[in-house]
Amino acid sequence: MTEKTILSVRGLSYTYPDGTKALQGVDLDVRQGEKVAFMGANGSGKSTFFLHLNGVYKPSAGSVYIDGVPINYSRKGLLQVRRKVGIVFQDPDSQLFSASVAQEISFGVLNLGASQEEAKNKVDAVIEELEIAPFREKPTHFLSGGQKKRVSIADIAVMEPDIIILDEPSSALDPYHVEMIDALIDRLSQRGITVLLSTHDVERAMCWADRVVLFCEGKIAAQGSPEEIFSQEELMELTHLKKPVIYQLFDSLKDAGMLPQGLPVPRTVQQLTHYIEHAKENKEQRSKTQQL
Amino acid sequence: MVLDKIAYASQWRKKSPYLKSALATGTLLICTCAQSFVISAIALLVMSWLAVSCGKTSPAYFIKLLAAPLLFLTAGTAVIAVNFSPDPLDLCNLAFADGYIAVSRASLLYALRLACVSLASVSCLYFLSVTTPMPDLIVVLRSLKCPWLVIELMVMMYRYIFVLLDMAVAISRAQDCRLGNRDAKTAIYSMGSMLSAVLMKALQRASQLFDAMESRCYDGKLHLLNETWQTRPSERVAAGGYLAGLAAAAFLCRSFGGI
Repeated sequence: MTEKTILSVRGLSYTYPDGTKALQGVDLDVRQGEKVAFMGANGSGKSTFFLHLNGVYKPSAGSVYIDGVPINYSRKGLLQVRRKVGIVFQDPDSQLFSASVAQEISFGVLNLGASQEEAKNKVDAVIEELEIAPFREKPTHFLSGGQKKRVSIADIAVMEPDIIILDEPSSALDPYHVEMIDALIDRLSQRGITVLLSTHDVERAMCWADRVVLFCEGKIAAQGSPEEIFSQEELMELTHLKKPVIYQLFDSLKDAGMLPQGLPVPRTVQQLTHYIEHAKENKEQRSKTQQL
Repeated sequence: MVLDKIAYASQWRKKSPYLKSALATGTLLICTCAQSFVISAIALLVMSWLAVSCGKTSPAYFIKLLAAPLLFLTAGTAVIAVNFSPDPLDLCNLAFADGYIAVSRASLLYALRLACVSLASVSCLYFLSVTTPMPDLIVVLRSLKCPWLVIELMVMMYRYIFVLLDMAVAISRAQDCRLGNRDAKTAIYSMGSMLSAVLMKALQRASQLFDAMESRCYDGKLHLLNETWQTRPSERVAAGGYLAGLAAAAFLCRSFGGI
């Protein structure tokens, strides 16, 4: 992650034509390479917010800045924005329109003006990288949910954006595919891509995100590191989220005196296990010195 | 939808769609121009052989496909064979009112020939359908400069037939589970509500799809990779040879009195 702000949003509000106020004055800054998890109940405005970030929706008030430049809503300006910001939609069936996997993935690159040959090379590379090769010759309608998801991520990855937004990437997937998609997202981050995703999985947000942004009724209720966010009981209650199990366990271990106070909150099971082992060793050492 | 699965499973799926289209349309053209029993028989045999023996489509399924238009064919050609005539004809007559319902040798031959040519022509199209999935055919149509609007509609419709069908099946099944098809009245009601639900969802999906396409810089035209299977020179030569041979045979049949 660098210090450079790649995306900023100021006073963003959006009202649907039917009068529903989906967003009410949202402010946000995202740094280059940051991993941001958006959480909040269904209908709290996450998806609507995402669609503003690449200019599909035009805000009723406020603005969105990419690399410090406000989005220009002309055809040409939008092309620039969408080259930089890609969105992977929640339901692959509303994103994949072609029955052929290669054709489907080629759509975005060709729209960016690549020649057939260039597009073919890029599509082949992405198919290789995201391990789509085993089913590239199958028609889209015979693919499983996880396979469709991988194709829909490839759709965007092939356009080489600076920011990738994923709307609930692991919804309706089996654990095997969740893990695979998670690994894939990590790979995107490692390439320096800024990743924004929405999720309901607190455990995942805890171990993955640099920052958690909580949406509630069209506003940002809170934002901060996972430790900060998940430690606030009232906030969890307001957004109907549960504190991550690892965090609860860490608290109970501390309360029971099995872990010393003042340790940073563990983000992964490995980290917590490490704490416990360390505490045990310390205790054994202490009892040995006492015996001596 | 079964046809779609069969086309994807075909051993000939990875042959160039240009080659298969040329074989099917070439045979179709020669067959309809020749209007001959012999050529029709050859065409029917070759097309069935390609589909069943090379493409490994199950013969039972291919015969079932061919049988589908048989009823229509017999009804259609019977009308041509049977005439109403004031005088008796040479083959078979049945007195009726002031004249005869009669069949002449010529009309019977004509009707039979028509049936054979039709069946052979249908087999050409079936050969193409059981070996070539839709996206491959669309590639061929695109390079034949078919209007882009038609092509784009084909791409979208083909994809969304499956999405909407899945939706319809899921809703019907859920209705079944709640006794939605208990009697004729409830069944009609369930069908109606299922269709309206599918329509609503289709509209919803259409707007989501548009957003998704916009996000990928959609500019009003579908730019897609024009990638497809390649032909080997030997295949091209074989297909060309076969079509030339068939055309020559058609010419010979014509010169020998058009059997």
